[in-house]
Amino acid sequence: MNPVTVPATLDSLGAIADYVMAAAASAGLDRRASYNLRLAVDEIVTNIIVHGYADAGLQGTLELSANIDDSTLTVSIEDSGVPYDPRQAPVPDTSLPLEERPIGGLGVYLALKSVDEFLYERVGARNRSIFKMQLPSAPVKEEGRA
Amino acid sequence: MAFSATTTIDANIAKITVSGELDGSMAPVFQKEVEKAASQKVKRLVLLMSDLDYISSAGLRVLVFAKQKMGAGVDLFVVGAQPQVKDTLQMTGFDRSIIALDTYDAATIENI
Repeated sequence: MNPVTVPATLDSLGAIADYVMAAAASAGLDRRASYNLRLAVDEIVTNIIVHGYADAGLQGTLELSANIDDSTLTVSIEDSGVPYDPRQAPVPDTSLPLEERPIGGLGVYLALKSVDEFLYERVGARNRSIFKMQLPSAPVKEEGRA
Repeated sequence: MAFSATTTIDANIAKITVSGELDGSMAPVFQKEVEKAASQKVKRLVLLMSDLDYISSAGLRVLVFAKQKMGAGVDLFVVGAQPQVKDTLQMTGFDRSIIALDTYDAATIENI
């Protein structure tokens, strides 16, 4: 799919979701895998928009791209906000009752659990977040009856 | 699909019907409704979720806010959550703190 660039603001979340769901449909992901990919991207870009840009007093854009090969759908997000590797985030304690929970910390956790593979790269002055989903295997042909 | 939330409060029970997609841009809309319910000092908060197609952690954060604002003694019901929404509630351990029902059960919810 052609890459798109959107402003790094929360108002872009709908357009980002549309892009990811279109990529998931082209790749033939089922409903659950599509939802999980959208959730993962939504969580990570929300984090980038809020912490990577807004909290740091920065403005900028997000560049989205999607690539489908024989076995994998890969969605990549590039941003120029504060460097941040989501894989370093502390794992939240999901056994605590809600009244004792700290605010926040669940988004990255959900994102990393929802995709088959998540990669992060720092490329020059940019962050690249990479989400990979395995494609459903090609349907097995039924044996012809003799 | 756009997000919407509407609240009705009756006999110590607040019901919020949520529909559409609840992401970080829409969480403030949901939070406003939860604050409305919290200000009425209700004893139950019931979230009618059958038309909620999506929830991110921004929406979950409002549930944490609700529980902390209203107090541990206020029961939080989630009614009719779709499978993926349910998955998210389970993965984050929220299912331990909420009462999940497939359909609205007046005998359980309204027995205060």
